[in-house]
Amino acid sequence: MNGTALIHSIIDGILTGSVYALMATGLTLIFGVMNIINVAQGIFVILGAYLSYALSVHFGIDLFVGLAITIPTLFLVGIVVERVFLSRIKGPEKVVMSILVTYAISLVIEGILNMVFSVNYVELQAWYVDRSVRVFGYWLPYIYLLGFALAVVLLGALYFMLYRTRFGASVRASLADQTSAALVGINVKNVSTICFGIGIAVTAAGGMIYGATNAFNASSSYDLISRLLVIIVLGGMGSIGGALAAGVFMITVEDMVSVIWGPVWSSLTFFLILVIILSVRPQGIFGKLEARLA
Amino acid sequence: MTTWAPLLRFEGVIAGYGGGDVLKGVNYSMEEGGVTCIVGPNGSGKSTLLKTVSGLLRPRLGQIFFKGEPIVGRSPREILKLGIVQVPQQHSLFREMTVHENVELGAFLVKDRSVVAERMAMVREMFPIVAERAKDKAGSLSGGQQRLVEFARCLMLEPELVVLDEPSMGLDPKTLRIMLDTVKMMNSMGRSILLVEQNARQGLKLSSHGVVLENGQVRLSGTGDEVLNNPDIAALYLGGSVRAKMAASTSEVKENT
Repeated sequence: MNGTALIHSIIDGILTGSVYALMATGLTLIFGVMNIINVAQGIFVILGAYLSYALSVHFGIDLFVGLAITIPTLFLVGIVVERVFLSRIKGPEKVVMSILVTYAISLVIEGILNMVFSVNYVELQAWYVDRSVRVFGYWLPYIYLLGFALAVVLLGALYFMLYRTRFGASVRASLADQTSAALVGINVKNVSTICFGIGIAVTAAGGMIYGATNAFNASSSYDLISRLLVIIVLGGMGSIGGALAAGVFMITVEDMVSVIWGPVWSSLTFFLILVIILSVRPQGIFGKLEARLA
Repeated sequence: MTTWAPLLRFEGVIAGYGGGDVLKGVNYSMEEGGVTCIVGPNGSGKSTLLKTVSGLLRPRLGQIFFKGEPIVGRSPREILKLGIVQVPQQHSLFREMTVHENVELGAFLVKDRSVVAERMAMVREMFPIVAERAKDKAGSLSGGQQRLVEFARCLMLEPELVVLDEPSMGLDPKTLRIMLDTVKMMNSMGRSILLVEQNARQGLKLSSHGVVLENGQVRLSGTGDEVLNNPDIAALYLGGSVRAKMAASTSEVKENT
């Protein structure tokens, strides 16, 4: 191992970690507002990747330009899924039921994707996917830099929405306490639906970057969802800041371990960190145990 | 028979959670402009009754009228629009949001920003803590301070009826006095107040009207003084003859064993 490779792995980890942070933010937003663990988040990322693939291959639309279509499309898919399936889940077993329902949704989408695109691995192609640029002596792939920029822009937009708008205030209030939010006149049901739409919409961007940096098929969703769940658990369920920090941290550590001990150890480390941190801090890094238990 | 037009009227309200009924046919008419205090033993349905008013709990049977309009089945949002605001028993501020944001959310239904700014200026004057701690997170305030900010927030909608669920809960005597003065002030500003108070004597002293709820039904109602001075009520709920009552229950236990 040399220092250059290690620094390179840290830079790569931060760049790709930001994209995971974006996808995990969607997942934690959904959990925070709705108390729903969306295990279909992984397959929605893959759906986003396939949509970008279809637009690119069949219509010649650039991957980033295609986001103007895929983001609104997945937002609408999210709205429909929430209204048709998830809004019906109520009662004390809501969290458990949400896992079952979203797992079923995941299986259905996976089956459809396998039928439409086959089980063969595909990868998104564009001129910037295979090229790199030299920055301070390090060769960085364009797609990593563009993915990072995209994640920063979308997370910035999400931050602006949450902290600078009336709707954002209603989302944060709903995240904190749904009964109190209802008592000030917030329509928590509508907020939930829109948040689910937003949570799914960000997977379009995440999916595009994922598909441009990895060969994928529908089954790739399993690896993705396990990582995303680790990130949001580690960051603290429902904590958006936690998802951001944990996303960047985990992917950076994974990349570093891959360089130091080899790729075989990187995945193991990912879950090992989860076990160690949760044994010390069961609510996650930024989670509030008492708030969740209340 | 009521000769005045009630602000709030309960007609045979039956409500509860799961399979059981907590309210077993509540009938009561509340006068406009006063302070009405509901007292009663634990489990008598006081808080449940307030939840039916704010739309958090839908009664199984019966109807509630606000200024003659039926409100059962309406969402909390629709009920707020009618001018009924509830401050719940548990602290309801959003702890991670600032005091200013919390108070501003009280006017969530008001679209006109200039009206919101006007009302914000009014409550900042009435509740200095809103201005002093504007940028602090609500979770950093003491219990009493949070209660005052909740009051400030509920006034942002300029409600006709303020529903308070055990506002004195967990407050020290000094903060309790401030809170009671604030309730009087809100009432003097023309707001009708419906409150449930664990400190029954304190609550009834403050109120123009009192209601005793027992086992999910109205056992007695009248002016605050009438309820306060009723010997049966004093014995049961105001500590008038607690010793005698304890002695009676002790002998009952002995007889049973």
